[in-house]
Amino acid sequence: MTDYDALVVGSGIAGMESALKLGDMGYKVLLVEKEASVGGRMILLSKVFPTLDCASCISTPKMAASIHHPNVTALTYTEVDGIARDGDGTFKATIRHKPRFVDEAACTGCQLCETACTVAVPDQFNADMVARRAAYIAFPQAVPKKAVLERAGTSPCTYTCPAGIKAHGYVSLVRSGEYEKAFQLVLEATPLVGTLGRACYAPCEGDCTRASLEGTLPIRRLKRFAADKHYAAEEAPGIEVPPSNGKRVAVVGSGPAGLTAAWQLARRGYGVKIFEAAPVAGGFLRLAIPAYRLPPEVVEQDISNVTAIGVEIATNSPVTDLEALRRDGFDAVLVATGTQASTSLNVPGEKLDGVLSGLKFLRATKLGSGTDLSGKRELAGRRVVVVGGGNVAMDTARTAVRLGAAETTVAYRRGREELPAHKAEVDDAEHDGVRFTFLVAPVEVIGDASGKVTGVRCQRMALGKPDASGRRRPEPIAGSEFVIPCDTVLVAIGMAPEGAAFGSTISVNANGTLVADKRTLQTAVSHVFAAGDVTTGASDITRAVGEGRRAAHMIDRWLCGETLDGFELDDLLPLVDKPSVLARQKAYGRGGALTEAGPVTARDFAEIEAPLTESEARAAAGDCLDCGVCSECQECVTACPSDAIHLDMRERIEEVTVGAVVVATGYKLFTADAKPEYGFGRYKNVITGMQMDRLLAPTRPFNTVLRPGDGKVPERIAYILCTGSRDETVNNPLCSRFCCMYSIKQNQLVMGALPLAEVTVHYMDIRAPGKRYDEFYESAKSMGATYVKGRVAKVTEKPDGNLILRYEDIEHGGALVEAEYDMVVLAIGVQPNRDVERLFSGEAIELNDYHYVAEPNEDLEPGRTNMPGVFVAGTASGAKDITDSILHAGAAVAQVAAHLESGSGAARARQGQTLKVPA
Amino acid sequence: MNSPTTAPNRDLREIIREEPLMRSRILEVLADGPHTVPEIADAVGRPTHEAMYWVMGMRRYGWVREIKDVTPEGYFRYQAVEKEPRA
Repeated sequence: MTDYDALVVGSGIAGMESALKLGDMGYKVLLVEKEASVGGRMILLSKVFPTLDCASCISTPKMAASIHHPNVTALTYTEVDGIARDGDGTFKATIRHKPRFVDEAACTGCQLCETACTVAVPDQFNADMVARRAAYIAFPQAVPKKAVLERAGTSPCTYTCPAGIKAHGYVSLVRSGEYEKAFQLVLEATPLVGTLGRACYAPCEGDCTRASLEGTLPIRRLKRFAADKHYAAEEAPGIEVPPSNGKRVAVVGSGPAGLTAAWQLARRGYGVKIFEAAPVAGGFLRLAIPAYRLPPEVVEQDISNVTAIGVEIATNSPVTDLEALRRDGFDAVLVATGTQASTSLNVPGEKLDGVLSGLKFLRATKLGSGTDLSGKRELAGRRVVVVGGGNVAMDTARTAVRLGAAETTVAYRRGREELPAHKAEVDDAEHDGVRFTFLVAPVEVIGDASGKVTGVRCQRMALGKPDASGRRRPEPIAGSEFVIPCDTVLVAIGMAPEGAAFGSTISVNANGTLVADKRTLQTAVSHVFAAGDVTTGASDITRAVGEGRRAAHMIDRWLCGETLDGFELDDLLPLVDKPSVLARQKAYGRGGALTEAGPVTARDFAEIEAPLTESEARAAAGDCLDCGVCSECQECVTACPSDAIHLDMRERIEEVTVGAVVVATGYKLFTADAKPEYGFGRYKNVITGMQMDRLLAPTRPFNTVLRPGDGKVPERIAYILCTGSRDETVNNPLCSRFCCMYSIKQNQLVMGALPLAEVTVHYMDIRAPGKRYDEFYESAKSMGATYVKGRVAKVTEKPDGNLILRYEDIEHGGALVEAEYDMVVLAIGVQPNRDVERLFSGEAIELNDYHYVAEPNEDLEPGRTNMPGVFVAGTASGAKDITDSILHAGAAVAQVAAHLESGSGAARARQGQTLKVPA
Repeated sequence: MNSPTTAPNRDLREIIREEPLMRSRILEVLADGPHTVPEIADAVGRPTHEAMYWVMGMRRYGWVREIKDVTPEGYFRYQAVEKEPRA
């Protein structure tokens, strides 16, 4: 028993005709179309020859019938991945349902998603003459008239963001001038928009595909731009929160993880209170990161997003008894206290006056009190040694410079290449005047009699084999000790959580991190979750934000009684293939160059990095390659009145058994730039015949027939026939059979649309062999079209966009002539669609000498291929016009029926189940 | 006028991607009245064929529309549409 009597691959006119006729005969048919609509190319034409009937008027009834026929199951946006013969002579076909990301049943075809979409791409259904959107309906007469979201995968910037921010989305929104929407999109992930716009180390930029061309987009600075725009205009975040759900969550720690978790939970209706041990909220954002990188007022603005939606923040409120929070009525607790402890040097002299941890130094500087090193006057003229090579070490050293240190030296035990600090931080530190001494390790801090630091005794190191971290292990060089004279030593060699404080309630690892499930972030005490650096050890802001977001999601699920397994927080599409992205274009060139400001030598704590101007931001965003095509900006989701957009749809594979296969995969158009002498692709007013058909169609891309180069109404139009056909130079000796006739059709239509236009056709010979074709040709001549016999040798372009054709005028003495036109139409021919070769496995479908599907006995058995049970219909077997394609489909259908009736018991078994279609 | 021959031959996708970026600039140009594609191209300092893609994309999605009459030079003029964009 088969699922279908016949599988028809391709829904052009031959495919539709085959499916409908087989359906009419009572066979159950599966019609598979890879595009989002049935109809193939015919529906895109203006009119058909020689009747000049409207192509849409003829096609659309067949298209609708294909979808609604009771015996035809039509699948659009679906591909046949493979067909293999089964043992009993039937076939197994693998069908791949590509995700539309739109619920077909819910979509009304209103196109609001398309209007809202922020990504413009060439419209293949308009022969690339105009833009469509990533969210689109194929064309106005599409059947089914349902939207599709074109998604090639997840863009690298979005894929790599640990915070779960849709980076491509906000870049796309900035490009469209939708700055507030860009801000809101980041808010979906975290309230720390301004903070991340400044202090994030931007892994998105590291993975930006444009980085392999002219350099990355300034993705982080675009986020800052959106944040600055928002905060300049609004104080509140501008979001609505649901009514309270009656449950309360305590968050211990107000760093990026805690703030983000609180934000996410409050947005779900939870009552959230943050407990912060420090006198100010923000964790390291306020207590470590220097103001020149992250101004405190920016953090304040971001935190105000959290408090604006009802989150309470209690500062100077350290928590050690987690159970007490439970007793106080909190339904869940999140511990997100970060890494507050500094790793000590463990060398003699560490207690001397003048030795301080980098973290304490930064905190004192940010708070403006608490240590005698906090004031500029105190560091003025001092020689400072910073021990360490991470980002905190860089912040410490650069802060020391700003506090007036006469000399600031970073001492690091490995080499420059092994520095864990981000390269930009190291570069900026050097620009600030910080010196680096590599391959040295302190062995003693030296002091004077009064107990004050006078220097650091160091030992030189050499790099040995890689250690567990993958970096080469520093090994001491005997007898290499030396002293770096200094009076201040700032230690920034590592940070650790102070997890032991919670040891009475939850388990703590030996390194001080809390024990929690890496995925669910739940501790052994079910209502206590832990997130951020307190569980992972020191990382960075963006990862902490991501942990906070994850924790909120898990806490929400746990409090709702849902399982914490079996789902993904961010169910992303696979990462887009970068080589495929780069292969979409033949050339690359940025529209607007972004001038990178050079580093500024700053001696105070004013913010160093200048904001992008509006024009810089728009231009930079305009450079985005839209790697994933859809940017996930969510505009379509918001715009859709039917809630039909489902970004979580995924590809589905189905296997079906069929009794016969009809290959109706059509043809490919000749790529006109393979004839460079005609200038297609270089000269803007040289177009193809297909493009002219679109210009003449009722659903045309322009308001009428216009030159693509400048929008001028053309007055003199030339056609060059046999472009890519009957031409050995492009390996196609065959006549394409319908170029003459579609050109003649267009001649008549152009003269109707532009009564003043002159049309000249350059031809080798006119082939008009069909019914009333020659009369049609004569009619065009009588309307005024001029036909010039002779091959065109070359087309050149004038500065005004006009085109000079150089040709031999055979009928007037063979003179070489040059003529000037406004526009040139290349009557391109057809080529075989060789995708058919990949359709079958186990046996090969035979192709003829020109790579069309062979019909071994085409005179007597048209439609039959070399494979029993496999048939071909339409132009898959060779160039045909529409009439001949329909006739050929009819022949193929007869062959299919004969095959099913004579050979396949499966087909007979089916017949009782199919619907009788009235004649 | 930016002639086709002097214009850099950027990839089609690159040009079309910039339509959302150029939209506000073109609407600014049209704020003082309708203009032809070459006039718009001049005003935004970009090649005419690039402006053509942007103007036609904007026309498709309801941001601009043509004025019926053609200029003596053979160009339509396009004006901003003061309404919600349509598909």
